Amino acid sequence: MSLLKYIIRRIIVMIPVLFGVLTITFILSRMMPGDPISARLAAAGVHNAPPALVHQLRCQLGLCDPIIVQYFRYMADLFTGNWGLSVSIVRNQPVWDLVMTRFPITIDLTIFSIIIASYLGTKAGVVSAVHRNKTPDTIVRGIALVGVALPVFFLGMLLQYILGYQLKWFEPVGFLSSEYQAPARITGFIYIDAFLSGDWYIIGDYAWHMFLPVFCLSFLMLASITRQTRSSMLEVMEQDFVRTARAKGCKEKTVIHSHALKNALIPTVTVIGLSIAGLLGGAVLTETTFGLNGMGSLFVAAILQSDYWVITAVVFMITIIFISANLITDVLYAILDPRIRYT
Amino acid sequence: MEKPYLVLEEELVEVEEKEKVTKNIISWIFKNIKFLILPGSRIEELSARQFEYEKSISKRSLLRRLKNPLTILGISVIIFIITLAVYAPWLSPQSYADAMLVHSGSWNPPSPEYPLGRTAMGGDVLSRLIWGARTSITISLPSITVSVTGGILFGVIAAYFGGWVDSVIMRICDVMLAFPALILSLVLIFVFGGSIQIILMVWGFLGIPVYARLIRGNVLQARQLPYIEAARVSGAGNWRIMFRHILPNVIQPIIVFFTFDIGSYILGLAGLSFLGVNQTIMIEWGNDINVARENPYEAPWAGLWPGFMIFLTVLGFMLVGDGIRDALDPRLKNL
Repeated sequence: MSLLKYIIRRIIVMIPVLFGVLTITFILSRMMPGDPISARLAAAGVHNAPPALVHQLRCQLGLCDPIIVQYFRYMADLFTGNWGLSVSIVRNQPVWDLVMTRFPITIDLTIFSIIIASYLGTKAGVVSAVHRNKTPDTIVRGIALVGVALPVFFLGMLLQYILGYQLKWFEPVGFLSSEYQAPARITGFIYIDAFLSGDWYIIGDYAWHMFLPVFCLSFLMLASITRQTRSSMLEVMEQDFVRTARAKGCKEKTVIHSHALKNALIPTVTVIGLSIAGLLGGAVLTETTFGLNGMGSLFVAAILQSDYWVITAVVFMITIIFISANLITDVLYAILDPRIRYT
Repeated sequence: MEKPYLVLEEELVEVEEKEKVTKNIISWIFKNIKFLILPGSRIEELSARQFEYEKSISKRSLLRRLKNPLTILGISVIIFIITLAVYAPWLSPQSYADAMLVHSGSWNPPSPEYPLGRTAMGGDVLSRLIWGARTSITISLPSITVSVTGGILFGVIAAYFGGWVDSVIMRICDVMLAFPALILSLVLIFVFGGSIQIILMVWGFLGIPVYARLIRGNVLQARQLPYIEAARVSGAGNWRIMFRHILPNVIQPIIVFFTFDIGSYILGLAGLSFLGVNQTIMIEWGNDINVARENPYEAPWAGLWPGFMIFLTVLGFMLVGDGIRDALDPRLKNL
């Protein structure tokens, strides 16, 4: 019960932040250079439109109303999925459709990266803490240091060149081989669709293509998780309850995995939550490097081609993902550490 | 016979006084630096002699702690990069204008004349690497300065005044931190234009809330201490207390974080250039990689070397950051 109360309280705290985010995106969307009317007219092939027509179109789009009315209409539009039409990427396609076809790839990329990085990071951290100042520790810390300093796009290029081009182990670009058709769109997530429509081989092909991007992105996150796990493991291993567990005759494996690790994971969850922002930024870089058609590459294309409705929509989506990821981290934290619910 | 001697003595006195002035300035600088970086140099309960003793101990142990092989490696990497940046006109085979202009022979492989190969526009990769060091340093330092100054200003004000000032500043920080930095910076760059000044201002601006939060927690603790009360009793104003009394006592974590953060600023700015928001003509490592991406398999040298340089620079700053953190705050050593 108290967990439910805690979650509700967290959601209530998040509402002002959400409003702030929406206000900022509204202000930014009104400040963007370029004019939606002239862009739409140009898209329709009308040049030198008479001012009366422009004014009429303006009022049709609701840009003549007071700014407050525009603000609330903007919010209503965002929540009802009425995101306008794309100006320059795919001309006159609804932005909602555009974002929704790109959205699953980014979600796949980030979720698989989080899972892999958290699993490997905690494992590596435990290994490095248990063998403190010995060879495994040195290797793990060295890899973690390299992971912090290596630009994710440079790592991507290296892997593309060595594993993709020279050794031909992986496909360097794209998310499906050209001879396969993407499965019929049911949920948008390729492996679920492939599973449902029975094209099982597509799952393998997809995994084979996604391996390098996911590896890159998880490498970005791996370093901080490893360092945090190592540090908190070292702290926990010196506590009294670990000595008690050893004294009562537990196996060393049990001591490490069920006594020490559970307590050491609490700060690690915070670090995972904090690195999600970097991960979403890294997804933009990774998608651009590997030519994946996700939200990140859509965003970069929209920035470079000034497609402002798409920019607003993608910022809104990514921020919502980020805020909800933070919420999930907080809840996980409360589950792991019951003390947090009462403060 | 006396006159020359007199003149000489006067001159001597003048010289001595000049030396004294320079000595005074130098010793004043050192006095103020040590307050910032030496732990324990402000413990005033200790007697004068103990104070001297503690000071020499902490100075010695600070140097000793910094003398770890990885930190020295980091320092030498940074010195190497700074040397490249400062002496670029002498070190690079091509001048800045030459390296930027279009030449014949794009994507040429390494040759004796161009040891690391040539880029899309025929520029020498080696020269672009050397000039790129200058760009990297000159865009990341102003950007982080914006973050640190803004963060200190807002963090100290928020924590010192408390109440609604604190709430307003911290809520704004919360909202800014609710966006992933790369996404918001791309939008801001789109809104304000993609010149390099805008890019580094935007990137620095987005770092303000991080520093503001960091310093706010420390000021909240320091605000309760008796010396603040003493300063207020002796008539010091709010601004004097904030920036002369509190700030020097809470700046240590900022210094640690700052050293560590230069690397990530270089990474972030290179990432922005990689995405192509920069003017492509500029000599910058991220930019070079972005251009080299057009032809990755036939001319890998054009992209790999700039990437390696970014890696080296960031690694250097991270290693030094680690070293300084260990030396200043041994409790965090296991991180």
